[in-house]
Amino acid sequence: MNVRAAGLAILGVAAIGGIGSAVRAQEPTRSVWDGVYTEAQAKRGEAVYRQSCASCHGVALEGIETAGPLTGARFTSNWNGVTVGDLLERVRVSMPHDRPGTLSRQQTADVLAYVFSFNRFPAGKVELARQTELLKLIKFEATKPARN
Amino acid sequence: MRAISRSTLPSAAVAAMLLGGTVAVRGQAPPRNPVSEGTRNGQWPSYTGDVRGSRYSPLDQIDARNFNDLEIAWRFKTDSLGTRPEYKLEGTPLMVNGVLYATAGTRRAVVALDPATGELLWVHGEHEGARAANAPRQLSGRGLAYWTDGTEERILYVTPGYRLIALDAKNGVPIPTFGQNGAVDLKREIDQDIDLVNGEIGVQSAPVVAKDVVLVGAAFREGFTPKTHKNNKGYVRGFDVRTGKRLWIFHTIPTPGEFGHDTWLNGSAEENGNTGVWTQITVDEDLGLVYLPVESPTNDFYGGHRPGNNLFGETLVCVDLRTGQRKWHFQLVHHPLWDHDISSAPILADITVDGRPIKAVAQPSKQGFVYVFDRVTGKPVWPIEERPVEKGDVPGEWYSPTQPIPTKPPAYNRNGVLPEYLIDFTPALRAEALELTRKFKFGPIYTPPVASKVDGPIATLTLATASGGTNWPGASYDPETHIVYASACDACLTRLGLVPPPSKDISDMNYVHGFAGQPFRISRGPGENAGADAAPPPAERPGGGGGSAFVFNVQGLPLIRPPYGTISAISLDKGTIVWQVAHGETPDVVRNHPLLKDLKIPRTGQADSVGTLVTRTLVIAGDSQFTTTVDRPRGAMLRAYDKTNGKEVGAVYLPAPQSGSPMTYLLNGKQYIVVAVSGGPYSGEYLAFSLPAESARPGGAAAESR
Repeated sequence: MNVRAAGLAILGVAAIGGIGSAVRAQEPTRSVWDGVYTEAQAKRGEAVYRQSCASCHGVALEGIETAGPLTGARFTSNWNGVTVGDLLERVRVSMPHDRPGTLSRQQTADVLAYVFSFNRFPAGKVELARQTELLKLIKFEATKPARN
Repeated sequence: MRAISRSTLPSAAVAAMLLGGTVAVRGQAPPRNPVSEGTRNGQWPSYTGDVRGSRYSPLDQIDARNFNDLEIAWRFKTDSLGTRPEYKLEGTPLMVNGVLYATAGTRRAVVALDPATGELLWVHGEHEGARAANAPRQLSGRGLAYWTDGTEERILYVTPGYRLIALDAKNGVPIPTFGQNGAVDLKREIDQDIDLVNGEIGVQSAPVVAKDVVLVGAAFREGFTPKTHKNNKGYVRGFDVRTGKRLWIFHTIPTPGEFGHDTWLNGSAEENGNTGVWTQITVDEDLGLVYLPVESPTNDFYGGHRPGNNLFGETLVCVDLRTGQRKWHFQLVHHPLWDHDISSAPILADITVDGRPIKAVAQPSKQGFVYVFDRVTGKPVWPIEERPVEKGDVPGEWYSPTQPIPTKPPAYNRNGVLPEYLIDFTPALRAEALELTRKFKFGPIYTPPVASKVDGPIATLTLATASGGTNWPGASYDPETHIVYASACDACLTRLGLVPPPSKDISDMNYVHGFAGQPFRISRGPGENAGADAAPPPAERPGGGGGSAFVFNVQGLPLIRPPYGTISAISLDKGTIVWQVAHGETPDVVRNHPLLKDLKIPRTGQADSVGTLVTRTLVIAGDSQFTTTVDRPRGAMLRAYDKTNGKEVGAVYLPAPQSGSPMTYLLNGKQYIVVAVSGGPYSGEYLAFSLPAESARPGGAAAESR
């Protein structure tokens, strides 16, 4: 299955439904525990991460003095409760530190998929979108919500 | 009205804007020398309040009874002070003669604000191009310095590109008679050749001005994986505040013939670098003495290219303010191998020990020791014993057989890692932690790093090294009670493994930081030019993403048991810890973890070193991480503790964690607290708090001298 196409298809449907205003009014409906990226996307993201992020954040995502960790309690607690859209925006605006803005939105979304994979949030069947508005519908939660 | 001026600096365009016409200021008449008077008159004229490293103010309008009533008086967002927003605002403003000054934004601009309203009075930014883009220490920096001779007032700061700038405090315009059109190029006259555009050196701390001398240190990239041990050297200099002329230089790595050169065996002083002073410098203006907290030599964890004790690496050095001549020194760590940079301002303390008055200097540290000396003679106030330490077996390394250990006060955070420090919420979690660390080396402080092996030891586990204990925010000192208040990270774990670099092009050192069986990576500081030494493609990728070899936490929980972060009150008269509290809300992942839901876990604190402020009655510090609780939205808290016993007496909401150290001032009878917040998706902002009229006690504003 072409997961990228599936992602676009969903986007297309949303667009037809008048996504602009509807999305802004919506609260997050899913969380990072709901399989919001694919394994293939995480693999692509890993390559980008190694190239553009690992020199500061480390191959084990543990961070060093001046670059925060992207794994473990420090990371998951600190981002708990924001949306993945917020996370993407932060990366897009300020990273990589020495060349902000040089990664495409797709690359940035792929890197997030890799970070989610590393932190053992489950993979799913549809890729993480690259549009901030869509990612604002996905909540970052440090611990798995107790539902059902 | 708007005035814009541009200088004709060869390598930089300078722009200063004066907003709203003349800045006729307000408030108190200028005291004779605000810097020397420190915070006594309700001002905050130096980065640490005074030049003695105190972070103390005698103000008492805000106290235990009304702290919870604090309201945001004004806020200043820093997004537009640079090409993009900054998420790591670390500054502490100054407030002198009715104007608040701060560095801010990705350009490290200087702003002058109305301290009553936050209104922008003027802004100054330096456009340094490639020089700033290549700089090892970028972003907004920690702050600036104020100077006056009674008529003229100046603001001084160091740019990301390592230039010392002097501005007219009234309008932000560079002082034409200082250096070259208001700037001293710090890459020149530094007794070594440093390329003006690409040469690696900078500094993010605030310069210090005392008695017409400006003191400036030096910083470099992270020292985990340097390209060469022949790095630039971090000398310290004093400059004439009027002209920018260099008055003196102190060689933190001695040159031939200078004292200490023989502590670098085999001529290694010439072959090694770093050893800068990247944190705050402290001055005793009366004695005319300067206290220099020196960092590690190249590199942080391997010293095989620098046999010997390596003076003045990780040494507290006292020099003469006028000449830079060394008066005394004390090396805290011989032949440094653990990244124990002296990381914060030395604190000047006039104490009484066993009935004997002592002019002391107290040095908080990553190790969790407060080292206390007679600041005139350098003699330890309590014995500091040379104790035997383990000798390692990394090929080519040189080991000091002993290290100095203070007998008093006791360490205020855990240093070294023992199995009992591992997570112990449940037996299962503890078992998992023991399994995870099976191939790692445990040991007390000064257990040496290891040459990493896949079958173990992979690395030495350490607390209180690279980012542990008290880091750059430093501690506070209460001159009334002779107590130091020190925040510390008590769970900042660093794994000290060494690997040979993959090639000599990556690094010419025999060993750099890394782990066997994991892809090598170059550690970089913020803003390093990736094109210059981009990491090679990884040679191997064992495990892949999510492989258990990489993940170093237990079910998403920290490997080290709480407390994760603390504030300690340490009596310098007695050499004892008076109280200690966990500082910071319990992180969400611990509070909400399904495996812990039946446990009652006391507040854990947060794993960071944060800046503290001490006032007449309170110790004030903010949380360093975001949390979300049932009582409030996602954010952090600015907390106040009763300084006598550590009891939390109030807390107010911050939209983002404290990222710079708080300061306080009095203006028109009202006390303000200003703190920098940023982090996560929240870009840098200075927040000012004050009391609503009904909460402020009339006449309660106690500036001492009137």
